Amino acid sequence: MKLLIKFILLYGLLFASAYAENTPPSAEKAATKSPAQQMDRDSVCTRCHDENDKTPVLTIYQTPHGNKADSRTPSCQGCHGESEKHISSKTNSPDVIFGIKKGAYSASDAKDQNTACLTCHEKDQNRTHWQGGAHQVADIACTSCHQSHAAHDKVRDKRTQPDVCFTCHTDQKAQVRKFSHHPIGEGKVACSDCHNPHGSAGPKLLKKNTVTETCYTCHAEKRGPYLWEHQPVTEDCATCHTPHGSNITPLLKSRPPFLCDECHDGPHASISPVAGNAAGMQGGLSPTLPSESFTGRACMNCHSMVHGSNDPAGALLQR
Amino acid sequence: MKTCNEEMKVSILALAVQCALLATVAIPPGAYAADSETDALTKPTNTVDFGALYSSQDSAKFGEYNGLNKEGAYGLGGFDVRGGNGYDQSKNSALRWKLGGANLGTTSRSLDGSVSDQGKWKLNLGYDELQHNITDTYQTPLQGSPGGNNFTMPANFGSINGQSSPSARNLNSTQLGAFQTEQEHTTRRNGSFGTSYTFSPQLSAQLDYNHLDQSGAKLIGTGSQGGITLSPGTNLGRAEAVNIIMNPTNYQTDNVNTALNWVGGKAHITGGYYGSFFHDDYNSLSWQSAFSSNGANTCSGTGCFVNNTMSTAPSNTLHQANLTGGYDFSSTTKLAGGFSYGYNTQNNSYAPTLIPQASGNSFDMMRANGLPSSSLNGVVQTTHGDLKLTNQSIKDLTLSAGFKFNERDNRTDSNLYRYNNIAGNTNQLTQIYDGVNTPYSNSKTQYEAAAAYRLTKAQNLTLAYEHENLKRWCNGVVGGAQCVASPTSNEDKIGLTYRLKALEDVNFNAGYTYANRRADADNSYLANSGDYGQTTAVAHSVLNGGNFLGYVAYPYANRNQNLGKAGVNWQVTQKLDLGVNGRFAYDQYDATLGVQNGQSAGVNIDTTYNYTENSSVSAYWSWQNGQRNLRSGNNGSQITAPTNIWTNKLDNNSNTFGLLARHGGLLNGKLEIIGDASYALDASSYSTQVPYNPSCGRLTSLTCGTLPDINNNLLSLKLSGNYKVLQNGKVSLTYLYQKLNSTDYFYNGQQFGYTPNRVMPTGLQPQGYTVNVVALSYSYAF
Repeated sequence: MKLLIKFILLYGLLFASAYAENTPPSAEKAATKSPAQQMDRDSVCTRCHDENDKTPVLTIYQTPHGNKADSRTPSCQGCHGESEKHISSKTNSPDVIFGIKKGAYSASDAKDQNTACLTCHEKDQNRTHWQGGAHQVADIACTSCHQSHAAHDKVRDKRTQPDVCFTCHTDQKAQVRKFSHHPIGEGKVACSDCHNPHGSAGPKLLKKNTVTETCYTCHAEKRGPYLWEHQPVTEDCATCHTPHGSNITPLLKSRPPFLCDECHDGPHASISPVAGNAAGMQGGLSPTLPSESFTGRACMNCHSMVHGSNDPAGALLQR
Repeated sequence: MKTCNEEMKVSILALAVQCALLATVAIPPGAYAADSETDALTKPTNTVDFGALYSSQDSAKFGEYNGLNKEGAYGLGGFDVRGGNGYDQSKNSALRWKLGGANLGTTSRSLDGSVSDQGKWKLNLGYDELQHNITDTYQTPLQGSPGGNNFTMPANFGSINGQSSPSARNLNSTQLGAFQTEQEHTTRRNGSFGTSYTFSPQLSAQLDYNHLDQSGAKLIGTGSQGGITLSPGTNLGRAEAVNIIMNPTNYQTDNVNTALNWVGGKAHITGGYYGSFFHDDYNSLSWQSAFSSNGANTCSGTGCFVNNTMSTAPSNTLHQANLTGGYDFSSTTKLAGGFSYGYNTQNNSYAPTLIPQASGNSFDMMRANGLPSSSLNGVVQTTHGDLKLTNQSIKDLTLSAGFKFNERDNRTDSNLYRYNNIAGNTNQLTQIYDGVNTPYSNSKTQYEAAAAYRLTKAQNLTLAYEHENLKRWCNGVVGGAQCVASPTSNEDKIGLTYRLKALEDVNFNAGYTYANRRADADNSYLANSGDYGQTTAVAHSVLNGGNFLGYVAYPYANRNQNLGKAGVNWQVTQKLDLGVNGRFAYDQYDATLGVQNGQSAGVNIDTTYNYTENSSVSAYWSWQNGQRNLRSGNNGSQITAPTNIWTNKLDNNSNTFGLLARHGGLLNGKLEIIGDASYALDASSYSTQVPYNPSCGRLTSLTCGTLPDINNNLLSLKLSGNYKVLQNGKVSLTYLYQKLNSTDYFYNGQQFGYTPNRVMPTGLQPQGYTVNVVALSYSYAF
């Protein structure tokens, strides 16, 4: 706790000094251009670039970046740079070329592309942890995911976002098709419901600070605290579950009794080797006594309160 | 952007755009008349979709999340309408609004709307519905509605002899006739509201609220006091009478998130509050069990049944204060961090412990003075802090150093709960259970440092190091016993990543990470499953959590971890992309007994060929494999290492193939055809070796050998055609064929006449299906 107190004090001092700085760049930018003036400035570019371009250009006016009455809205050159050489001759590239694929010109370095975006977008709570985050370190450009000129930016739509993420995260692309999965392919859960691709203080770019906090966002019934807690539930849901998809319902890494055997040996039936007898009589066992400890839900036939029990008589997570 | 081969000509349209834009400057707004083509590009396109589809088969699994769980016709409906002066370039307004709806004809429907004066304020509303269809083959004789919390047996059901073997146990015709099929599903209805307001370029605030309503039920296993007789001092009967019943999910969760944001020249900070309020309509679930321990089907009337009760998820609340922000010491040196404190409480009334029986007697699950309080008064405090400093002042070198701290401090009181265990017998002291709750706490402290160096313009090297310290404990446990197997652990992780732009169009990356975890072990721990017995906390035979000497649960074992990965992306031409990547991980645990090692590997190949501007073909293949090896023993004790050692191996194997083709521009640009095919094959297998028992493979035992694979093979084929019939109209015809072949031994234990003794059959069936869906819709754009 002492460490924590020191941390809080340090943090407070830093922000106290930061608060003394009260001239934000956005304010400086906002003071100058009227909407009409900004559009006029765009015409430097739009006299040549239109919807005939491979990447639609003018549809940006349907997006927040084209809402000219907002004084913060940038002009074309606000993002692409003044590009004077390009304006004078098409053989020269604009100052900043967005994108990740080679087009008419080579794309600018991700760092240079992102600098253009972060000029306005860095200082907000969603991108606080961008610097040093997994995507920044891997030189991922904003335009790897975002289509800022498109009327419909796929990554900002819950139903189309996963396809954008799956471009790189190909393991997950296959996993969401498994027998047990979150409704990601069905458009009801998006990657950004759990992850913040712009950086976070949590593991795996999770939006919340811990795995459990993230899961509780939707599964608040697991939060408790319960009278009888199951230790891994209080630490990390991923001890037993795999969130992107599994062959074993519900999103389990393995199936009881084998899953339980990974942490329990000795109590009750967990000492017993199990094989075909878990498949019961249909699995080849002679018609004697297939055990309720191994077949079907196995351990969870009785110990079903694996996320915790609030029954005074439920220490063994049975009630 | 135009391609290099194109002339940078000034097109007629571009001229129109230019004129229109210039006009906004030169002409008063009222006199503005935009070119229609420009309008089409700068104003949003609204769409309304409607139609119908037909699904050919009942299947809860096919309709698990898409709402198409029943054979028959469904309506299709959706819309996306946007407007506001903010889309009108002639008006000096940033006001825009949007209304949208999707899947309106199914239980997966959603609606949303927003209005904003961009840069000033925003309001948004949303509604999202999802019916999670779980199974449509579950059968039960229990009477009661899904979503209810009280289930009773039909009065004439009689009893079931829990002692007889499945082959000998026959449910009589009356009993079989009492089984009815229940549709198991849960429904989530999520309503949301959000607003934000910008006071100034420096200061803004936002509020988000959502209300999640859940109804329905999920299946749950229940052990119970089967066949108890309630006369004091007599045998309480055969234990573990199992009924799979419908656990209600009558939940409401309210989440509130508020934030106040300040942005300065060098710093920004956000202070906020997050509240989450979970409410369960029930605190218990009651059911009757028909199992008896003596004499099959000899009982009649409601006196045959034992009433049982178990708890449901308790209502709880979380209040959390959050602070995040960043400070730029310079353009190259930045600090970011956050702090949060959470207060989580739970004080729901305990489930009833005095269970009335049909005989008029009541069975008290608690023993004398066994219940210290009527509710938990549980409190958990969570604390989080993080700081990260990044520096790029040296050319081509990016340095970062960070610190993270997370703590879950469970301040709930520990007490002694004395109760009758399942299988309890008042004459047997060992069945009297004295449980002590052990409120688990843990904290994790992480330090990390990384350096990324740009070797050349085409090469990057990143070196990262992380140290993690984990602590676990319980506050004030009655008796003072240790509650965790591993009170502390430390892990060091070092990783190296290399990226190479081999050619202008070829990007290669490779990485390797090594991690070493050292965990302290305390074999005296009891865990909350430890029966503290009648006298002292540690005298009872539950050392090492009841596990044998040498056994270590894998999350708490010493571990070496090696991870490698590599990938290449090649833009072969402007039309053709190719990507290949692979990964491998191997974990080795230092444990005499328990998980010995685990490994995972994967290879992904994907390619896309854009053969015209609106036509493309893409294909992918993904292979993934995971294995886990377990070593365990079936004799011994907490102080004597077992000698009868058995092993178990899990092997998960997955292959997924996909092909997506889109061909547009047919029939003078009016027709577009899309084909999407995928085939996913998943297999999980378990293999057990029992060298100490040569007869383990006999049909009367089958404790060694392999289990039948759990196979799920999903073939999906979707063909769509979009035909433009009018200037603004489009007809879409879609055909979907989906076939799931599912084989799983899990269902064996659910069948009539085959289920284990003491388990009520449910008749659950494997969830394979073959479904054809035809959909016809019309989309109007305006």
